[in-house]
Amino acid sequence: MRGLNSFLSGVILILIAMTCISSQAQTRLDNPGSACAGCHRAKATSQPQTPMGRALLLLPGPDSSLKANPKLTFHKGDYTYTVETQGDNSTYSVTDGKGKISSPIHWSFGYGAQTWVFEREGKWYEGLVSYYPNIQGLDITIGDAALTPHTLEEAFGRELLHSEPKDCFGCHATNAAQNGNLNLDSMQPGVRCEHCHVGANTHLLDSLQGQFDSAPPKLGKMTTEDISSFCGQCHRSWEAVVRGHTRGVINVRFQPYRLANSKCFDGADPRISCLACHDPHQDLVREDSSYDGKCLACHGSSAQLASAQLASPQTASASPRPGAKSCPVSKTDCVSCHMPKMTLPGGHMKFTDHEIRVVKAGDPYPD
Amino acid sequence: MTGFAWNAAKWLVVFLLSVGAAAQANPVGFDDLVLKADAAREQNDPAQAIELYRQAVALKPEWPDGWWFLGLLQYGTDSYPEARDALTHYIALTPNAGPAFALRGLCEFETGDYAPSLNDIERGLSLGAANQPRNEKILRYHEALLLTRSGYFEIALQKFAFFAGGKVPNPEFLVGIGLAGLRTPLLPKELRADKQDLYMAVGSAAFHFLSGDEKTAQQEFQDVLQRYPTAANVHYLYGYLQFPRDADAGIAEFKRELDITPASAPVHAMLAWGALIQNKSAEALPYAERAVAEDPALPTGQLVLGRALLETGDVTGGIEHLQKELQLEPNNLEAHLALVKAYSKSGRKEDARRERLLCLEIARGEDAPVARP
Repeated sequence: MRGLNSFLSGVILILIAMTCISSQAQTRLDNPGSACAGCHRAKATSQPQTPMGRALLLLPGPDSSLKANPKLTFHKGDYTYTVETQGDNSTYSVTDGKGKISSPIHWSFGYGAQTWVFEREGKWYEGLVSYYPNIQGLDITIGDAALTPHTLEEAFGRELLHSEPKDCFGCHATNAAQNGNLNLDSMQPGVRCEHCHVGANTHLLDSLQGQFDSAPPKLGKMTTEDISSFCGQCHRSWEAVVRGHTRGVINVRFQPYRLANSKCFDGADPRISCLACHDPHQDLVREDSSYDGKCLACHGSSAQLASAQLASPQTASASPRPGAKSCPVSKTDCVSCHMPKMTLPGGHMKFTDHEIRVVKAGDPYPD
Repeated sequence: MTGFAWNAAKWLVVFLLSVGAAAQANPVGFDDLVLKADAAREQNDPAQAIELYRQAVALKPEWPDGWWFLGLLQYGTDSYPEARDALTHYIALTPNAGPAFALRGLCEFETGDYAPSLNDIERGLSLGAANQPRNEKILRYHEALLLTRSGYFEIALQKFAFFAGGKVPNPEFLVGIGLAGLRTPLLPKELRADKQDLYMAVGSAAFHFLSGDEKTAQQEFQDVLQRYPTAANVHYLYGYLQFPRDADAGIAEFKRELDITPASAPVHAMLAWGALIQNKSAEALPYAERAVAEDPALPTGQLVLGRALLETGDVTGGIEHLQKELQLEPNNLEAHLALVKAYSKSGRKEDARRERLLCLEIARGEDAPVARP
């Protein structure tokens, strides 16, 4: 009996302890970003403010773009689109003059340009028009220009088939998929810690008990090839673009594909990895000159390389590659020539072409 | 010859005769013979025309038109070996004649020379023999049958997909799809009579699926499974069809198939592939190893094992199996894609770049996105 009492007491103590830890952890898990900030303050604070961190906006909410443009209209063929905002609520509508389909906007995809996804009568749709900040107005959603709607339903949006809704939310949100299925209850909008650092929640729970063995693997230690594939899960990997036959300037959006097509791409050289130039925890750096050091890490003289190493510890062990030529034209603003900015037809925005190359006037886009 | 094939062949002959071959200058002494042969052909007297063309090419063997008409007329009168030989003469004189390759392939189909038949039909198609919708149907149908008989079941299903959405010409067509789907290397005419019902039912279900009518397909697959619960490869086929759009549903069917055919290399290979595309390489590895153990000559098995090894850290082993795959299928895009990654990760920059360029070239030559190994 004594033995049994001891056993039960032990179980009760463990249960009480677990309950305390769980409630403490649950409070933090409700907002994992802030929970992670306990140890990773700088990254957990800056990352949610990046475009990736704001890749999905839930509405109703304080969307300044739509509030600033409370009535947007767009005409395409027989159809007129309207996005009206009253207070925090926005409504997307399409009419052909006879009928009308309207739907409240709940999910706004993208930071800057915004595309809306709708659930309507058991089906998922991507709005056929999107908001573009450069024109402060609506235009056809990128990739949908070739669609010709024949019915009001088709004009409303492109139906998302099979795994497409899961894929959309899977990239623009965190924990949107559970057991392979879309689960909006567990979803957090935007790319958060757990999105990339799979297992962060377990690590958080364990760390509260002083256990750090379950820390997610450090992504920066992956090879350049693996980092490219990792980022390519959402930004479209090289092989995904090849498999999908995505040809033409439209594939400029798929940076891992473009970068891997560069002659200088080396999947085992950290100087050309996505992370060599971009810190996903920080806002995108848009000044061309800020990338010079990255280019000169391979294409510079010894003195330039030393300077580049100071600026970028990741390349500290690197040396100029055999055959990595120096630019005869300039040593500054390299990307302004070698990574030209491309405008997508109808896209109202520019994308930096990550296929690093010598660009000659009149050359066709190397797709 | 089967009814469908016979009608198709007749139509093909009429069409090709009407097109004719480019006229060539006839040597002195041949004119009369050729005029008579042409007249006999135009008067639908094939026996006389064949005899006259035969005399003409005997006198002047380098006259391609004579061999062409001789081959066409002999094919039209079911003289397949003779037609094949005449077309061989024609091809020797006119090496890029797609229709001649295609017609010789159809002759070889009838004489039972299936391997050269497949080669010739594919060569003919690549040289533009499918220049009319009807021709294309005839050739692609025979190509699909021959691919099935040669064991290229997945490619055969892709060829049958060409007919999706159209009318089913006859029961034999459905049996053909059933043979490809159930991985049975036979022609419809070679299938035992007591098996026809199963294969036709499976072919019908698969055809509905390929045509986009998944609801009817699902019902028909369920009916087949009720009637033939232990039939091999029905679950595999249903899973294979579902896999590109719903990998989880496909994987569930593959696992059901393992209960019926536990030693199936293709099923293990597809389970490995399913795990790989879900980034579960450790889970994929034992399936891939079993697939190769069961059938080392199965290209998909070598592919999945190469990828599983590569993604679990054994780059050298991965490259070895990927190269084995490419010995079996030199233009397999998935194997080249995996080699890109293997070379790239192991610092073989130039090899990786060469493979990348090769992948782009292969992808540009393909008709549609690749979703399966």
